[in-house]
Amino acid sequence: MLGAVVLGAAALLVAQDHPETIAKPYTSWVEPGSGTSLPREMVFENPLGRLGVLNTAGPIDTRGHPFFEAIGANGRACVTCHQPANAMSVSVESIRERWRITAGRDPIFAAIDGSNNPRLPQELASSHSLLLDRGLFRVGLPWPPQGITPEFTIDVVRDPTGVNRDAMYGLRSASPTVSVFRRPRPAANLKYVTSPDGLFNVKLGVLMDKDPDTGLPSSMNIMADARAPSLRVQAESAYRDHQEGTHALTREQLERILGFENQIYMAQAWDTRGGSLVEPNGPLALGPANVARNPVHVLNSAKTPGFHFFDMWVSATSPPDTRSEFRASVARGNDIFINRRFWVKDVAHINSIGLANPAKRSCAVCHNAQMSGMDLAPGWVDLGTTNYPTWTESKVWSESADLPVFKLTCRTDAKPHPFLGRVIYTSDPGRALVTGRCADIGAITMQQFRGLAARAPYFSNGSAKDLRELVDYYDRRFDMRLTGQEKQDLINFLSVL
Amino acid sequence: MIGGRVLLVVGAAAAALFAHGSAAQTTQRSTSSPAARRQFVACPIVRDTKTQPCWLAEYGGELYYLGQQGGVANDFYPPQLGHQVLVEGTVGTGRVCGGIPLQPIKVSVLKELSPSCNTILPAEDGIEAPPPIPAPRGPAPSWVRVANPGNVTLYFDFDDDFFSLHVTVALTDLAAHIMATKASRVEVVGYRAATRLSDRQVLTERAQIGAVRARKVADTLEGLGVARRVLVISAPEKPERADGVNDPWNRRVDIHIR
Repeated sequence: MLGAVVLGAAALLVAQDHPETIAKPYTSWVEPGSGTSLPREMVFENPLGRLGVLNTAGPIDTRGHPFFEAIGANGRACVTCHQPANAMSVSVESIRERWRITAGRDPIFAAIDGSNNPRLPQELASSHSLLLDRGLFRVGLPWPPQGITPEFTIDVVRDPTGVNRDAMYGLRSASPTVSVFRRPRPAANLKYVTSPDGLFNVKLGVLMDKDPDTGLPSSMNIMADARAPSLRVQAESAYRDHQEGTHALTREQLERILGFENQIYMAQAWDTRGGSLVEPNGPLALGPANVARNPVHVLNSAKTPGFHFFDMWVSATSPPDTRSEFRASVARGNDIFINRRFWVKDVAHINSIGLANPAKRSCAVCHNAQMSGMDLAPGWVDLGTTNYPTWTESKVWSESADLPVFKLTCRTDAKPHPFLGRVIYTSDPGRALVTGRCADIGAITMQQFRGLAARAPYFSNGSAKDLRELVDYYDRRFDMRLTGQEKQDLINFLSVL
Repeated sequence: MIGGRVLLVVGAAAAALFAHGSAAQTTQRSTSSPAARRQFVACPIVRDTKTQPCWLAEYGGELYYLGQQGGVANDFYPPQLGHQVLVEGTVGTGRVCGGIPLQPIKVSVLKELSPSCNTILPAEDGIEAPPPIPAPRGPAPSWVRVANPGNVTLYFDFDDDFFSLHVTVALTDLAAHIMATKASRVEVVGYRAATRLSDRQVLTERAQIGAVRARKVADTLEGLGVARRVLVISAPEKPERADGVNDPWNRRVDIHIR
C-alpha cells in the first residue's frame, strides 16, 4: 500500500539518514483507479538513493481524480506514465517489473503506443521491445503537419518495427503518419518548464508561439518537439493519443489535472554514498522542497549559478570518509558543469544563431536555467543524438537497429540544416515534424535534470541506459577529453539533482 | 541600455548569450574608398586563445581579423565552421589576434555547406584576444538604424532574413510606437542587393529575398499588435546596385510611418 509506506518516510525530505520505511519504485506503482491517497511528502528508493516527491498542496485523494483515473478507453491514466516513484516519468526498471507482474497486461503496454507496432502480436515481449528496453513510447505525428508546406520529403529507409511502412499506421496510409519513439518527460517541477522567456524566441528571431488560452507567450519548452504551447494542450493530446480518449476532457478535469501537475515537485533527496541531500546549510539546489521554493527563470551566471553553490561540500573531511569524498566529487562535477569550457560544435540552434561554430562554452551556457538545467529560451537543439552520423544508434548495417531511420531530403530553395545540409538520415526528425523546416531536423527540446536517478534511461530516445552513457556521449560528441575521475564527478553531480 | 531592454523583449535567455561580451566591432556606415575595402568569400578560421576565441579569414595572402566570440547582443555575429563567409569590411591598422582588423565589418554566413572550412588554430603565446566589452548601448549598427522612432531600417546578412536580437528589439519598439501614435499607414519596403567583391565579381542575392524580408517584418509587426490594414508592403524586384563600399547597407528593410 503506497500511502502507508511513504507516509512513514515523510521526514526524510527534511533530514534523515536511516529511515525505517522506504518505498521501492516497483512496489509503489500507482495503478489507475487504485484510489490510493498520496501524502504531502513521499520518498522512493532508486538505484542511487532516494527520490523525494513533494505535493505542495498537501495530501491528495486520488479517487475520482482525472490524473489518476482511467478516463480514456485503454485503461491508462496520466499516472501510468508519470509515476511518483519514477520522478513523475517512468523508468525501464519499473516497466519491466510491470511486464513481469502482469504478464504484459498492464495498460502501459497498450497496443496503440506501448508496443513497437499496434499490429504485432501484443502478447509477446518482443512486440514491446522499445518500451521494455529503452522506455520508449510510439508518437505518431501526422505528415505533413496541418497547414504546413514542408521544406523536405521523408522516406523510410529502415523500419525495424514495421509501423512506418504499415498500411494502416504508416507514412503511406490513408492518414499519413510518421512514428517516432520517445521517452515520457517528468510531469513535475513544471513551473520551470512552462516559464515563458519573452516575446521573441531569441534563437530564431521569431515571435514565440502563444498560449491559446491566455494569449501570452509560451515557454515552448513543453514536450520533445515543443508542439504543445501549454499544459492544457499537452493534457488534451495525451488523453486523446495515449489514453485513446474519445470525449473531450471537461473543464473541471483539465483544471484538476493541471492543478496537480503544477503543485508536484521532485528531486533526489538522499544518496547511498552522500547521505542526506537536504541537510540544513546544505546545497540550496538539492531536494524537492528547494525545487519548489526557488524562483523560476533565473539565468545561470557567476552570481546565480545553475545549481547554486556546493562550497560546503568542496573539501573532504580529514581523514576522508565515503560521504565527504562523494560530496566533494559532486562539488567538482558541478564545477565542471558550470565552468569547464570546450568546443561546442555543429549543434543546430546553438552554433547557428550568431554564437559561432564552434563556440568555446561550458555545459551551463546551453543548460542555463537555474534549478532545472533546461534552456530559458526554447530549448530545442540538434545535439546530434537522433541525426546521422552523431546519432546514438548503430553505425554499421550489421549492428541491430532498434529505431526507424528516415531519409529527409530538403528542397533546393529551402535553407538547409546548418550542419548537415539537405539530405539527412535521422531516427527522429524532432521539431521538424512540427514545423516542416530543414533547419529543425533532429532538434529535440532539452529536458530538466531533476530526479535523474529515478528515471533511467536518458535522452529522448532512451539511448543512454545510465548516467555514464549519457556523460560518455557528450564526451565523445564534443571531444571534451574528460578523465575517468571527471566523468565520475559529473555522474555524481547529476545523480543528486 | 540594450541589455535591460532585451530582458523585457526577448527574456532572460538572451542575457545568457550576452554574458560573454566581445571586443568592439562597432560598425559604422562605411565612408571608405573601394581601395580600403576588403570584400571576399572565404573559409573562416577560429583561433583559440587564453580567453575568447578569435575569428579570422585569409584573403590575398593576408590574414584578417573579423572579430571574436561574444553573445547575440553584440554587434558582431561570428562565422560558422562548415560554411564559407562573405566578409565586407574596411582595412584597419595594426594587428589583432594575428590578423589585420577590418573595421567596420559585416560577416554573412553562406548557407550551403563547405565541409573543408574546418580550421581551428591552437592558442599561441603572444596572440591574445582583445578584452571583452559590453554590448552596444542602443541599436547595433550592423543590424538597425533608427533615424527617428517612425523611420527605421533593418539590415540583413547576405541572402538571409534572420532577425538578430537587435532587430527584434527594434521591431518591438517600432510596434509600440505605431500603436501609440495610431499610425494609419506604415510602409514596409524590402530590398534585395548585390555585393561587389574585391576581385570584381558580383554576388547577387536570390530573387524574392526582398519580399521575404518585407513580409516577415510585416508579419512580426502584426504579431506584436499592429493592425494588418495599416501595413503596406512592397519589394523592388531589381537588386540594389553594388558599389563595393556600401553593399551591406543595401540588404535592408525600410519602415516608414506616414
